[in-house]
Amino acid sequence: MGRSPTDLAIFVGKRLLQLVPVLIGITILTFVFTHLSTINPCAQWYPHADPTTRANCEHLFSQPLSTQYWQYLTNLVHGNWGASVEQVAVYPQIAEGLPATLELVLAALFLMIVIGIPLGVIAAQSSGRWPDHLVRIFYLSGWATPTYLGAVIAAIFVAPYFGLPSHGEYSSLVPPFHQYTHMSVVDALIAGNLPWTLDAIEHLILPAATLAFINMGIATRMTRSSMLEVLPLDYVKSARMKGLSEGWVLYKHALRNSLITTTTVLGVTAGGLLAGTVVVEEVFGWPGIGAYAYTAIGGGGAAPNFDGAIAVVAVFAVGVVVANLIADILYGLLDPRVDWR
Amino acid sequence: MSDPVVSVEGLSIDYVIGAGRFRAVSGVTLSVERGHVVGVVGETGCGKSTLAQAIPRLLPEPPATIGEGRILFQGQDLVQVPLWKMPRIRGTGINMIFQEPLNSLNPAFRIYDQLAEAIYIRRVREKSGAVTDPRAAQAYDYSRSQDPTASEALLRPVVPAGAAARVTRRAVERHGDLKPEVLEYLRLVRINDPETILDLYPHELSGGMRQRVMIAMALSEKPTLLIADEPTSALDVTIQAQVLTLMKELIEEVNTSILFISHDLGVIAETADELGVMYAGKLVEFGPVGELFEHPRHPYTKALLRAAPTRYKSQGPLSSIPGSVPNLSHPPSGCRFHPRCPLMKPNCRIAPGPGLETVRGGAANHTSACFYADAVEALP
Amino acid sequence: MGGTGGAAGSATPEVRPSLAERGRRVGRGAALLWRVLRANPLTLIGFVLVVVIVLTAIIMVTAPHLLTSYSVDQASTDYSQGPSWKHLFGTDGNGIDIFSMVLYGLPVDLAIAFAITGVALLAGGGLGLVAGFWDKPGTAGGAVSVVIMRITDIFLSFPSLILALAIAVSLGRGVWQLIVAVLLTWWPYYVRLVRGETLAVKHLPYIMAARAAGVKDGRIVLRHVVRNVLEPVVVYFTLDIGTVLVTLSTIGYVGLGLNYPTTPEWGSMISYYQNAGLITSYPWTVLGPGAAIFITVLAFSLLGDGLRDVLDPRSRRVLAGSASRSSTSPAEGEEAAEEMAQETEATELPSPVASAAPPAAEGRPVP
Repeated sequence: MGRSPTDLAIFVGKRLLQLVPVLIGITILTFVFTHLSTINPCAQWYPHADPTTRANCEHLFSQPLSTQYWQYLTNLVHGNWGASVEQVAVYPQIAEGLPATLELVLAALFLMIVIGIPLGVIAAQSSGRWPDHLVRIFYLSGWATPTYLGAVIAAIFVAPYFGLPSHGEYSSLVPPFHQYTHMSVVDALIAGNLPWTLDAIEHLILPAATLAFINMGIATRMTRSSMLEVLPLDYVKSARMKGLSEGWVLYKHALRNSLITTTTVLGVTAGGLLAGTVVVEEVFGWPGIGAYAYTAIGGGGAAPNFDGAIAVVAVFAVGVVVANLIADILYGLLDPRVDWR
Repeated sequence: MSDPVVSVEGLSIDYVIGAGRFRAVSGVTLSVERGHVVGVVGETGCGKSTLAQAIPRLLPEPPATIGEGRILFQGQDLVQVPLWKMPRIRGTGINMIFQEPLNSLNPAFRIYDQLAEAIYIRRVREKSGAVTDPRAAQAYDYSRSQDPTASEALLRPVVPAGAAARVTRRAVERHGDLKPEVLEYLRLVRINDPETILDLYPHELSGGMRQRVMIAMALSEKPTLLIADEPTSALDVTIQAQVLTLMKELIEEVNTSILFISHDLGVIAETADELGVMYAGKLVEFGPVGELFEHPRHPYTKALLRAAPTRYKSQGPLSSIPGSVPNLSHPPSGCRFHPRCPLMKPNCRIAPGPGLETVRGGAANHTSACFYADAVEALP
Repeated sequence: MGGTGGAAGSATPEVRPSLAERGRRVGRGAALLWRVLRANPLTLIGFVLVVVIVLTAIIMVTAPHLLTSYSVDQASTDYSQGPSWKHLFGTDGNGIDIFSMVLYGLPVDLAIAFAITGVALLAGGGLGLVAGFWDKPGTAGGAVSVVIMRITDIFLSFPSLILALAIAVSLGRGVWQLIVAVLLTWWPYYVRLVRGETLAVKHLPYIMAARAAGVKDGRIVLRHVVRNVLEPVVVYFTLDIGTVLVTLSTIGYVGLGLNYPTTPEWGSMISYYQNAGLITSYPWTVLGPGAAIFITVLAFSLLGDGLRDVLDPRSRRVLAGSASRSSTSPAEGEEAAEEMAQETEATELPSPVASAAPPAAEGRPVP
């Protein structure tokens, strides 16, 4: 049984190595979409571009596939991720938008954990009775709400009701301090500016809550079913027999074990949250890569930006892979029965 | 002379599942005297485990419901106690050892934490006067407790898992060093190098070791009543013998009252003072172990003894009981054993059937639920 | 179907069950469904809603005049009116009745959703069976299995909505493009689900016995494995219809959907009115189709979630020990109750390690 720090390093290292083929697979897939989705994409992609761009594109497509792929990989590594029709480079925009999206997704994840998991415990505890039904209606409502509908309702009807802002990261487009990280709350904290921090948090609440509500089902459902699996087990009974209070038994003994199972849906959750940002960021004017994707895809009647769209798709895929990696490692840390070697 | 720690009076337990309903335990009356070991035997499905888990109100309600009867524990009827108040009776009052040593220890916590938690609870209650050492003759009367004690206030808060873990750690540390006592109890259950297992998780121990830890955990709360629900049947035969010997020694040392559930007559013969025999949800015979083994007064007990391959009965071919265990949703009328009984007479079929009555020519507490108890001896 | 019996049928009598046996199977299925529906009032509500929705869709295809007096894209003389009895969801600036457009959209959305999930189930499920059943390392089947799973894993890394959007960009607008775009991202879930179930079923004693007895693999898969895998797949399928509907509507919302008002698809409808800037002044134009999506998805989710509680093997075991397990007859109830009693007698619940495997069917992210 290996559970020493060295074993942990080996455990994490192994997981990282396993990522390599998946990452290669992702690049191949995005390459396929970039280069082979139509017979001659150059005409479709760059209908109005200058002749050089068009010629470069045509030249690339006359090469053998392997060369094209290699060229694609080289460009990827060098941060040369292509440009929009208006010749705005993709990479800098994504690099700038990614932290904002990350902030939004983490905030939503936080809300999901803080609200969704206790709801799952309550539902499991009262399985088949009305609190269970209410919780189920709540998370299935989130599940059934199309993201844009939820976001639009939140922005137009909920925001004025609570007096919450529904657009952007701050009340002013440019805050009076340098944005080091491009995460609104973190930047305001770094600047030591409390009013702007509160302002940033106010702006974060609605988009994060919308994202969390829509994705709540996964966490709640998973907590509920894993709690239902754990509760009849003998160790829960023996915890009760120690004379521990019911809350203690539920939240310390049972939840600790059911959370081990719940971590496995972190990857799926990340996928849902990231996909949700496309619409939520657009509706709430959040300057992240979700909103960028919306425009790149041609949302709202804009001219499609293929390089941008494919780049965002790849970044999101990497995000899901990383979330799965974290889930895997968390699982290993939480469950003492996992051998790290 | 009678000083029962717990007395179960006419207890019936139903399972209600959808439209289906059946009585797993019907009208069982049984008591455990202070310092005695009472065994309960019966085939799988006879309701003995349901009975064991009903006493500390551990059964999931629903689907289980206590139909009628009382469970008197230190002057208090546990059937009437609201479930949220049960934690203060469990642990130091009634404790339990379960059948599956793998499942009854929490897989996510270290051995030390699980044991320390139990000792911690006992200490808090001792400090607040909620319990005294059960080995002292006068046990604390729970019904007299007026205010929720500090222990319960401490143990009730609902906090997220991680925080809860930290809080206990801190609370445990505040409460003095529990380690010496943890080690003491591990040594008590004959674990030689207890320091080496403190930081291990349950899955890293063998089945026998886990059951020892489980026993140590239960004993460390110094319970007034210990319920052992088939504590050895999940273990290998050799380990079984070790654990059993250990339990016998501990019974002498700790002087707790024990309700011992088993399907193994051999195990019961070695440990129990009195024995109850259950059949199809009913207690059919109760009496001192020696007398019951020598002179059973119920045809079922007799048949059970004949069917048991143990060294405690005379030689001869093993026999099986003809017929099959009845279906509890439609139990036979009258005496539930009548379809399989060699002594069956027409009046055995008539409801309500025989009740437990003191047998003639036996110990004062030897009772049997058979109209023809006197004829049992004559059976082959 | 019954007429194809003949010689082949008599040679292998168990392959073609008699009509009576089929009737009994249908009866058992109906009994099971009723048991599931009774177990939870929400499941029953979901079931009733799904039936109503599907019936409405059928009526809208066969005889739309029963439910609406307008034909597709037909304008009335009421312009930009709020909801009223005459126009339940109001009208738009051209006088088009939003409610009847929502009704016309129902069969379109449902048909696309069923087409996508159906094909995804067949393709993904087939691959999953192959990858799950012939997974012995070192054999040709094992190699195929590894390849299938690697490709599946890569596809699974992409949030399906995002990938569908990207594909939709390349393919352009249209019903077929829409179906292909979503389908390309939809099949991998079924591979993982069916493979997981197949792996579990494969080690059941009677299937091992059939293999040992020399029954051909293909026959085992078709006769035994498929039947066992069916239950969780049906549950997942029900939930998935709702998810596809939401995804479709998001694609429509982004502007990659169909051409409203000629094709009345809900997402495209919302996109159309949203882009026309009507949401603040005439919110019903967007809220009407939005509510339709919400209710339809909620109906399928309530049904699917309830089905999963009872049928999913992972939660079934738990439910056997709780009150949610219901039954049609006292006899069945007592069976369950005895099972429960046995459980307290001899606790044979599996250790949490066994149940800790990553859940395949826990759900797809909702776009």
